[in-house]
Amino acid sequence: MDYDVLVVGSGIGGMESAIKLGDMGYKVLLVEKEGSVGGRVILLSKVFPTLDCASCITTPKMAATIHHPNITAMTYSEVLGIRRASDTHFRASVRQKARYVDEAACTGCQLCETACTVAVPDQFNADLVARRAAYIPFPQAVPKKAIIERVGTSPCTDTCPAGIKAHGYVSLIRSGKYEEAFQLVLDATPLVGSLGRACYAPCESECTRGELEGSIPIRRLKRFVADRHYREMDGPGVTPAEPNGKSVAIVGSGPAGLTAAWQLARSGYRVKIFEAAAEPGGFLRYALPTYRLPQEVVEQDIRNVTALGVEIATSAPVRDLGALRLDGYDAVLLATGTPHSTSLGVPGEEIEGVLGGLDFLREVRRGETADLQGKRVVIVGGGNVAMDAARTARRLGAVETVVAYRRGREEMPAHKAEVDDAEAEGVELRFLVAPVEVVGDAAGRVQGLRCQRMELGQPDASGRRRPEPVRGSEFVIPCEAVVAAIGMVPDTDSFARMVSIGPSHRVKVDPKTLQSEVPYLFAAGDVVMGPSDIARAVGQGRRAAFMIDRWLQGRELAGFSAFDERLGVVDKTQVLARQKKYTHRDPVTVNAARLSAPRDFAEIEPPMTEDEALAGAGGCIDCGVCSECGQCVAACPPAAIDLNMRERTFDVEVGAVVVSTGYKLFAADLKPDYGFGKYPNVITAMQMDRLIAPTRPFNTVLRPGDGKVPERIAYVMCTGSRDKTVGNPLCSKICCMYSTKQNQLIMGTLPLADVTVHYIDIRAAGKRYEEFYQQAKAMGANYIKGRVAKITEKEDGNLILRYEDIENGGAIVEAEYDLVVLAVGVQPNREAERLFIDEPLGLDDYYFVAEPNEDLDPGKTSIPGVFVAGAASGTKDIVDTILHAGAAVAQVAAHLEQGNTTKKVPV
Amino acid sequence: MSATPNRDIREIIREEPLMHRPILKALAAGPLTVPEIAEAIGRPADEVLFWVMGMRRYGMVTESKDPTDEGYFSYGAVGGGVPS
Repeated sequence: MDYDVLVVGSGIGGMESAIKLGDMGYKVLLVEKEGSVGGRVILLSKVFPTLDCASCITTPKMAATIHHPNITAMTYSEVLGIRRASDTHFRASVRQKARYVDEAACTGCQLCETACTVAVPDQFNADLVARRAAYIPFPQAVPKKAIIERVGTSPCTDTCPAGIKAHGYVSLIRSGKYEEAFQLVLDATPLVGSLGRACYAPCESECTRGELEGSIPIRRLKRFVADRHYREMDGPGVTPAEPNGKSVAIVGSGPAGLTAAWQLARSGYRVKIFEAAAEPGGFLRYALPTYRLPQEVVEQDIRNVTALGVEIATSAPVRDLGALRLDGYDAVLLATGTPHSTSLGVPGEEIEGVLGGLDFLREVRRGETADLQGKRVVIVGGGNVAMDAARTARRLGAVETVVAYRRGREEMPAHKAEVDDAEAEGVELRFLVAPVEVVGDAAGRVQGLRCQRMELGQPDASGRRRPEPVRGSEFVIPCEAVVAAIGMVPDTDSFARMVSIGPSHRVKVDPKTLQSEVPYLFAAGDVVMGPSDIARAVGQGRRAAFMIDRWLQGRELAGFSAFDERLGVVDKTQVLARQKKYTHRDPVTVNAARLSAPRDFAEIEPPMTEDEALAGAGGCIDCGVCSECGQCVAACPPAAIDLNMRERTFDVEVGAVVVSTGYKLFAADLKPDYGFGKYPNVITAMQMDRLIAPTRPFNTVLRPGDGKVPERIAYVMCTGSRDKTVGNPLCSKICCMYSTKQNQLIMGTLPLADVTVHYIDIRAAGKRYEEFYQQAKAMGANYIKGRVAKITEKEDGNLILRYEDIENGGAIVEAEYDLVVLAVGVQPNREAERLFIDEPLGLDDYYFVAEPNEDLDPGKTSIPGVFVAGAASGTKDIVDTILHAGAAVAQVAAHLEQGNTTKKVPV
Repeated sequence: MSATPNRDIREIIREEPLMHRPILKALAAGPLTVPEIAEAIGRPADEVLFWVMGMRRYGMVTESKDPTDEGYFSYGAVGGGVPS
């Protein structure tokens, strides 16, 4: 047995039970779901009837609980389930949630909170104010250690193949931290500007806001911070690590190669890139038309890399990878992409006027512009290169540009936005058309493209329906130029002596480590994957750099998950369910002026204004709560924050269980006539307790509607208690006294305020309770007997209460107040019954934990060995809770002694 | 105030970082009450209160010693005010 007793919940009943059992020498495991012990009492202002400070009476118990030698207190943890292990033992499964903070190192300085960019309602202040995703529950928290609230990885971040923390930079932009946002993207790749323009933004496809009125403009936000950085800053603003004496050669300067170089150079490696072309950038420079990605942006991104000392040798093709090793490089990365276009494989392809898609785009970017003025061009293919080629042809003056694709629109591999833009620019799409022959004229020039019609058959290996020719359907599309954009392949023939080459000329490497069979040789990007996109190539470059670094440090490449491990992606349905309603926000869309016959290569997409960026980022709904922006990590002096921390679940065996899960407060919006949640100046008594507590969320008692100091305050008693209409006929017992307490405190805090209590009858059954009530009346509190029927709001935020004045003839009266407090009732916490898996925990008629013989055996539940302490078994004030916990403790001790199996130590 | 369409509290609070800039800009000329800030930035006073109290909590604004005769405290920017 691990512990004598498991105590579930650390409110006043749980703490009292644990301390007393610990004092008796029993070994106690206390499990608390929040980040601090103390329950609800520590959040109160004062306690009745003594008006002792709640903190003053609670914090000693909190400290005693945490520091008691016989108590193991696990905060931010949950009991998942309890089963009976034997006649005398239970087995409990406990989940210790990850705080993402090293408790031993955290000093409670709150700098992480101040730096955090995500604001959420503060449940410890009854939702009256914001806290941060990085937070310490409340000032008197024990332990006073920070928590980073993370419920999973946000879909945008999770889906990014480049590993960019999209949610992070969106939240930074929302906070006006533009340079920090740039740096967060830069942490993954130097290609901030390029990705901000040319990424296909899978993040936006997954954005939860897309389930409402439209995605956050995540890609354009990246461009916004890149534009701003390049406009205002000189250099990347990153200092690389001290040189580590090792060097890496990278072959190829496309997205994968540049990203790997950036990562390795930052880590202190000497890096040299060998580029076959005359200028670096690979696909970015030579395949993407400048109307999508201006050349100066590519150059700005590349300067991030060279600023760290990376050398780029251009016009330097590498054919012998082994020679690089002999030249002294400790590792070599092959990242040469897919530079060759796939041929059509039809007769006539050699005729002048037929070009590969990549070759065509490359020539245009090199300024070797093909003369298409007045010509008709057919582009064969349905991918993004085909769309780029078609739109480029339009800009070169082609009078007619036809895209011939052998499948249907739905099967096109090109991104929808690209297809839409191409059509908007006058490109004609012809579907279910496949080339058969390039038709030439007598002079050997293209005259047309003979095609045949296709029909879709059964799905092929790709899942798309296979196109099959329609007999006798051939026809010719007249044209003067044909561009074959049906695919791209790597150029790897010269590397076959060193590494295995797989299908489609791709280099074979371990897909996780990207290491080839030659240990020092790694490969990444499209040379490994085949044609993909920039973000995927960037992701491969990051991975390669990580693995090369690891290999050069002599560390294992297999059997670890540090690079890949993310929290599971959050469930969008659960994210959306956090709010009852969402305000419509017009999506921030691109306002690009497209011409049906474009004539130049000027960038189409306009930059975002700051207002657009803030409006766009402001729509983010913080799916994962923590955005992973990294500001807390940077702000934490003792480096206590560890986002790689993970929750752990384990089983413990215990001799007895004490259920002290407390109670729930009535949800006041279930009484719609009282207007809670609708009228800002209608609050609950728990909110008022926070407003009058020393650690209050406002500077004093203010009404939430406009911050005014209230002068006329009304209390509505029995809100959600003694009320069959809401399913709670019970008297909550404590409302009269906590309201009386608040009345006295308000009159002390706001001497000019009038306080009126609308009540049914006052229940003052306790030592000095009646005197306490009389004292409030003597101080000036006005008590009106009669139930409030309805509350309505005036234009100025004041509230009209309509009520029956029983003691004055039963008249229906209306009175005006500027703040109304609903004295909400108590309800059972149904979490208690879910604790037990194989034996149902008995409940009473009102769903509190039943004590079958409560008169003679208080604290005993329906399950032998399971006990209940405090308000889990019914409403109790603090005094009664302490007494009840004492009874439960006695029952536990008797039970354990009968079993004689305790771990009890001599006292 | 009754004309205010109720928004979900989570949604209002989530916007607090976004509202720092316009609120600090409004306070650049001196402290304002919550209704005055609301008028300056064109947002409902109950929402502004959430944002101002969040900013107060994290040290970006501070309140006046006493309320006005109408019962409103003024809130002024702490330190540098509007971020550049």
